[in-house]
Amino acid sequence: MTTWWRRAFPLELAEEGHFSRREFARFLAVVSAGFTAGIGYLWWRKKPLEGASDPEAGPKELPVALGLAADLQPGQSRLFKFRDAHDACILLRTPKGELRAYRQTCTHLGCAVRYAEERLECPCHRGFFEPDRGFPVQGPPSRPLAAIALEVRPDGTVWAVGELPKPTLETLDRRAACPREKTEVTA
Amino acid sequence: MNTPRVRISPAALGVILVLLVIQLYLFETVLGAVLDGQRSVLPGAFFVSLALTAISLFLAFRSTVEHGPKE
Repeated sequence: MTTWWRRAFPLELAEEGHFSRREFARFLAVVSAGFTAGIGYLWWRKKPLEGASDPEAGPKELPVALGLAADLQPGQSRLFKFRDAHDACILLRTPKGELRAYRQTCTHLGCAVRYAEERLECPCHRGFFEPDRGFPVQGPPSRPLAAIALEVRPDGTVWAVGELPKPTLETLDRRAACPREKTEVTA
Repeated sequence: MNTPRVRISPAALGVILVLLVIQLYLFETVLGAVLDGQRSVLPGAFFVSLALTAISLFLAFRSTVEHGPKE
């Protein structure tokens, strides 16, 4: 007796139903080789991925003037372009009065973050970063924002001079000071 | 004519699945590191991934268990 779905979808494939365990294992092994090829490509490709941090470019890049430091009050922010017209960054003065600059690209899915209510907010998926170091404190992002190195010159102007390296395993003390991790520990 | 049935063992298939999960996790971690500008992890990650792939390919193509003559 023919089942209803067989009548609805009268497909007759010669090899239908003969996907063996070995074929499945070979498929998985090839997928595994694909991951290896992907990592190899990332290694072979010297140029950073689009939107990726590139702290090594520091000595080669031109400083960008961001205006007078005194013009920015605590809680205020200003947008600027750093390396090129697509490299959107945000300069802000924290509630403590310190100047900070970050790349505007959210580390979750790349939306532009904005400074509001004393924290950096990604409006796409409600991700939040604290303004002092750019660590994620709420929402989907799990990695900190790329920080821009600033320089205040004697005439009072602020300059973006490079990109700061992100925290690594060697800087565990900074990771331990992450507000999100503190919250998890106290909870 | 009776021929032995040669199949990959369930254990080998399980190991391949586990290795694939490790590969997935490794790739995700490496991609995150590269996006953060930490390219120094790439050589090590590549050779670890290569070793896992070699094991997977060996198991997939060579690991067999015989079930006796086919009817």
